Amino acid sequence: MITVQGLRKRYGNKLAVDDLTFDVQPGVVTGFLGPNGAGKSTTMRLMLDLDHGAGETRFDGRRFDEIRHPMHEIGAVLEAKAFHPTRTARNHLRMLAAGSRIPRKRVDEVLDFVGLTGVRGKKPKGFSLGMSQRLGLAQAMLGDPGTLILDEPANGLDPHGIHWLRDVLKTLAGQGRTIFVSSHLLSEMSLMADELVVIGQGKMIFNGEVDVFVRQFTQSTVLVKTPSATDFAETLKGMGATVDPAPDGGLLVSGADASVIGELAHRDGIVLHELATRSASLEEAFITATGASEEYVAHDVTAGPPPETPPPTDSQPVQETGDDTTDKPAGGAA
Amino acid sequence: MIDALRFETTRIRTLRSTYWLIGLGLLLTAGVALIITLATIDEPLDDNLVRDTLTGGGEFATFIPIFMAIIGIFAAGHEYRHGTIQPTLLAIPQRTTILTAKVTIVMVTALLVAVASLAINFGVGALVWGEAPDITSSPLNDALLGYIVLVVIYGALGVALAQLFRGVPSAIVVLLITPMLVEQLIAGLSMLDALDWLQPALKFLPFAAGTRLLATEDYTHTDGPDFDYLDRWASGGVFAGFTLLVLLVAWLLFKKRDA
Repeated sequence: MITVQGLRKRYGNKLAVDDLTFDVQPGVVTGFLGPNGAGKSTTMRLMLDLDHGAGETRFDGRRFDEIRHPMHEIGAVLEAKAFHPTRTARNHLRMLAAGSRIPRKRVDEVLDFVGLTGVRGKKPKGFSLGMSQRLGLAQAMLGDPGTLILDEPANGLDPHGIHWLRDVLKTLAGQGRTIFVSSHLLSEMSLMADELVVIGQGKMIFNGEVDVFVRQFTQSTVLVKTPSATDFAETLKGMGATVDPAPDGGLLVSGADASVIGELAHRDGIVLHELATRSASLEEAFITATGASEEYVAHDVTAGPPPETPPPTDSQPVQETGDDTTDKPAGGAA
Repeated sequence: MIDALRFETTRIRTLRSTYWLIGLGLLLTAGVALIITLATIDEPLDDNLVRDTLTGGGEFATFIPIFMAIIGIFAAGHEYRHGTIQPTLLAIPQRTTILTAKVTIVMVTALLVAVASLAINFGVGALVWGEAPDITSSPLNDALLGYIVLVVIYGALGVALAQLFRGVPSAIVVLLITPMLVEQLIAGLSMLDALDWLQPALKFLPFAAGTRLLATEDYTHTDGPDFDYLDRWASGGVFAGFTLLVLLVAWLLFKKRDA
């Protein structure tokens, strides 16, 4: 179990990590989400004593610097290509094994595990990003640790690789290990993670189960298809529901569940062709939850040309304003 | 500490640049030794000639010291250039321990290479001269020992500079520019009447002081600044002290900075 208490990191005037406190439980995959620049990597570096800051991280009750051979207990990869380009994959792992009293045969085991046996004698300078990620995972698994901390491990992996990684991490979690993994691939995270830590601008936004996060930050909608759409929309609005046109025809209704809408249609004698609850995705929840804390915001191509006013100076992060998501409470933080 | 030493030993042994730097250093130095012996084949063997042959150039012998310094620079500089400082510190989080191990392994490597180079060049000299020179008498024995010490200090300085600058290029520039330009410039300026007050300080210029470890005779100021160096080992101490100072600052920053 990882216990993070009051992590804080400041770069000059910018507070990169602001009093983060959370636990990462064993036996489940905990996803670590946040927009670009939210402080995810800095948080992971603070947890592993690579960066200096305030607060404390304990791994099964011990600080990182109190663990005699960390690789036996914590496997971590924070950069995909953190190896010498001309030192072979096998020698890279042998070097780390030598410093951690890990038997040399374990090197070949983990290379086989990640599917790199065929290139174990090759120099990593020719590795693709996906192969580099696999070597990173082999490095993390070298000491057969009970805790894995991985920063964007799915970057560069092909669909088969992503599927494989998901299975690996879920299997490792199933063995009782503590898995803490950041990713920008939200669809993948929704399939992989059981718990989430979501941060924005260094602050905690959410810490809890994925389903709770999605429910808390989104609203389910109901797709209604009827030949009497105009009349029925008025009826629905009259009972307080919000009605929007669906992209592929029909109505998207929020604020009323499917059973209520069905009964209303029956009462008014409205013919329904389709009535389906549409659950929100993790991506929608993430965008809602973190919309106010995006560090870098590009122009929306669907929103017309960029404004004529000059952009803010680079010392002032661009903030999304006027968004109805900005007033969402940063609740749920543990 | 043992684990860190094993880590560093594996690190330096699994890097191809270690081998070509050592090989090139030994080869070039042996080549210089061969040229000197062939050029002086008819001259009687004296301390200077034997020293110049065995070290591959005497006070101008730079290949082995510089190449060992570069191995030291790679030991710390590659960690930042290629981002391997992260896995290194995740394996061995004790920063003092890992830096000590780096310095130790590079110094041991430098020691072995310096001895090997002397042995090879001794063989080259003996082959060409047809006799094995006596290297047991003073001051030649002290000069050869001083050469080994100089090479070892250069190795440590390489680690210290690369750790200080957290990279390879800056460390190499400082290593080459300081003795060739900065110290030469100060020595040159001290010969101006208005700046002759600089001359007493010249003995403390670290790289120049370091070369006195190879000296077989006292410094004479013909066409040069008028001052006296400290004795061999005190001069070596100046160079070692400079290296220690750089290493100390590098260590403090290594402890304080983010990785």
